[in-house]
Amino acid sequence: MSTHVDPDLLCAYAAGEIDAAHAFSVEAHVVRCPTCQAAVAPLADPARLDRVLAAVEDELDAPRVGAIERVLRGLGVRADLARLLAATPSLSLSWLSSVALALSFSVLAAHHGDGGMLLFLCLAALLPMAGVAVSFARALDPTFEIAVAAPFSSVRLLLLRATAALATTIAMAGLAAVALPGIGWSAVAWAVPSLALTLASLALATYVAPLTAFAIVTAAWLATVLVNATASDDVLAIFGRPAQLVLVALGAGAALVLARRIDRLDVRGDL
Amino acid sequence: MSTPSTVMPSDESLLTAVGAGDRAALRVLYERHAPWLTLRLARRCSDADAVDDALQDTFVAVWRSAGRYHGGGAVGAWLWGIAIRRLIDALRRRPRREFFSGERETLEPSAEEQVLLGVQHGDLGGALERLSPELRAVIQATILDGLTTREASTLLGIPAGTVKTRAMRARMLLRQELA
Amino acid sequence: MTVAVQAGDLHKRLGSTQALAGVSLTLGDGITGLLGPNGAGKTTLLRILATVLAPDRGTLRLLGAQPAERSERALIRARLGYMPQEPGFHQRFTAFEFVDYVAILKEIGDRRRRHDEVRRVLDLVGLGDDAQRRIKALSGGMRRRVALAQALLGDPRLLILDEPTAGLDPEQRLRFRELISRLAEDRCVVISTHQSDDVSALCHHVIVLDRGASVFAGAPRELCDVARGRVWLADDRSAGARLSWLTGDGRHRHLGNGPPAGAQLVEPTLEDGYLLLLAPPARAAA
Repeated sequence: MSTHVDPDLLCAYAAGEIDAAHAFSVEAHVVRCPTCQAAVAPLADPARLDRVLAAVEDELDAPRVGAIERVLRGLGVRADLARLLAATPSLSLSWLSSVALALSFSVLAAHHGDGGMLLFLCLAALLPMAGVAVSFARALDPTFEIAVAAPFSSVRLLLLRATAALATTIAMAGLAAVALPGIGWSAVAWAVPSLALTLASLALATYVAPLTAFAIVTAAWLATVLVNATASDDVLAIFGRPAQLVLVALGAGAALVLARRIDRLDVRGDL
Repeated sequence: MSTPSTVMPSDESLLTAVGAGDRAALRVLYERHAPWLTLRLARRCSDADAVDDALQDTFVAVWRSAGRYHGGGAVGAWLWGIAIRRLIDALRRRPRREFFSGERETLEPSAEEQVLLGVQHGDLGGALERLSPELRAVIQATILDGLTTREASTLLGIPAGTVKTRAMRARMLLRQELA
Repeated sequence: MTVAVQAGDLHKRLGSTQALAGVSLTLGDGITGLLGPNGAGKTTLLRILATVLAPDRGTLRLLGAQPAERSERALIRARLGYMPQEPGFHQRFTAFEFVDYVAILKEIGDRRRRHDEVRRVLDLVGLGDDAQRRIKALSGGMRRRVALAQALLGDPRLLILDEPTAGLDPEQRLRFRELISRLAEDRCVVISTHQSDDVSALCHHVIVLDRGASVFAGAPRELCDVARGRVWLADDRSAGARLSWLTGDGRHRHLGNGPPAGAQLVEPTLEDGYLLLLAPPARAAA
């Protein structure tokens, strides 16, 4: 193209003071002429162009929103909290898949007699607490040191993550329970124990290192279940009504202790 | 900022760089093309926010699909193809507002303009001028911008059937004028 | 000049080692260098200054507040930036996403302001064009820069950097020095490093730690002066030197208590002072 658009015509075009035919002609030319593209450049609104460029950069840099984060936001969680929660080790897909797998196997086992049912209930009671423990495990949060040095309360972060982990694992166990043989009491018999164990371990974590607390509670639970299973005729007695009441009392007591000593959970590097 | 024209990279090489993740290349492309794209988009739609959105979406799309540009030297046309379709998307997302086809009252073409126009379009310029604004808008959308009937109908805010009939009528009128 | 850090008699035991055994220091604006061999307690001290660890014993005031008080800790942390020695990253994150994540933890306002701040610090460390690259695709030097960027979020008044130049090539180290010296004009910066040339180039105050105790605190020139009159060059090895090595130009550099006759006395460097300070006692009687 040897001829270019007359500068006055370009100005008129940019100002909108031009008829359609001339506009067509200008546009048909400018689209393929770098010289005229450059000539038009100063005629556009620079502030507006800068604003849009900033928006482009923002969009290109913007953190990608993963599936878990989307779900959380859908549940009404604030966007930045959803971001923090989505980075929780126990909300990672690998942890969730492991939980799903464990639950599936134990559900299958439950279809083969009381022993299998015991396995399911025992596991379903432990998994929520394990989910909370995983969110405490600083080895699994690579940004641990940086997170501690930041103003966002580490206790708050920990509890948020623990709640999310708890809710998720309980939901999964609940879903798994639907596949149990025979709907009935057994489908929810694990619920109270799971809450009691979680509260007990959190309360204990205000006295000793959290992971030690989780280990102690797990050991105590497994020991109790085992002892009961071998000592009594009814293998599932540990989930019977009297035991449930005991666990409710335990959970309530633990909750009280936790509420009073919550600041001892304040995370420092020497956990 | 002025770069000596001897070292100014071509649009194609910039696109290749963008495809490789070069953010600075995207910025150069933006500086070169965003102005004329904005002006041309603004003549299709009076909603400035929609135009800004379309421009933003265009360059985000350029970043993501720079690898899909298949050469041929017509980077500007490729960009315009993306931009006009993003504008249509932006308009679809919005509640209907009034659009116009982007022109003022017909002006008497000056002597130089006549010459310029005459060099490129012969008597087409005059014939276009004599069409009604609605018919001209359809010609602009379907011929100059290369939109499909559906796209043109979204852009102009008229049913697809109307686009077809107006395009037919406009072509008929133009043929009559130029015959 | 306000006092950013005031620490008295800090003790910290980690496992079976006494990591810090009574360290006291007072720091104001400017850059303080922390030198010392591995295991000297540098990282422990920095962690305590960053409120990541609590001291077993001793007094500590940071930015005028008490980190021992929970309510004041959040206030301190809001004006503090910490770059750990081995920063961990969520590998799937891009550089931008990671710094944005930390920015949320630093409670930096709404999304728009936060993103602007993230972009600002990434530009400061020269990663503006790589913000959208995944961390695992970045080189070691670039990852360090990401870690530095997150420490700069919120324009902190107290900046604590643990081995910030480790793994950086000389050009990157120069860029880092330019950045830090600009920033140090109106804040307190504490850097731990093994590179004595970083210290001599940047720091107006030096602390040397050895086995949990401070063995030197003063200006870099004073550390050089420790070796004044005790550094000499000779063609051969010298039995009376406490430390010596063969330099690149074929002569032996000796540090010791008195040059033998005929040796060429040279101007001591900071490194000479540091080495003499920490050298094991002379093998031969002086």
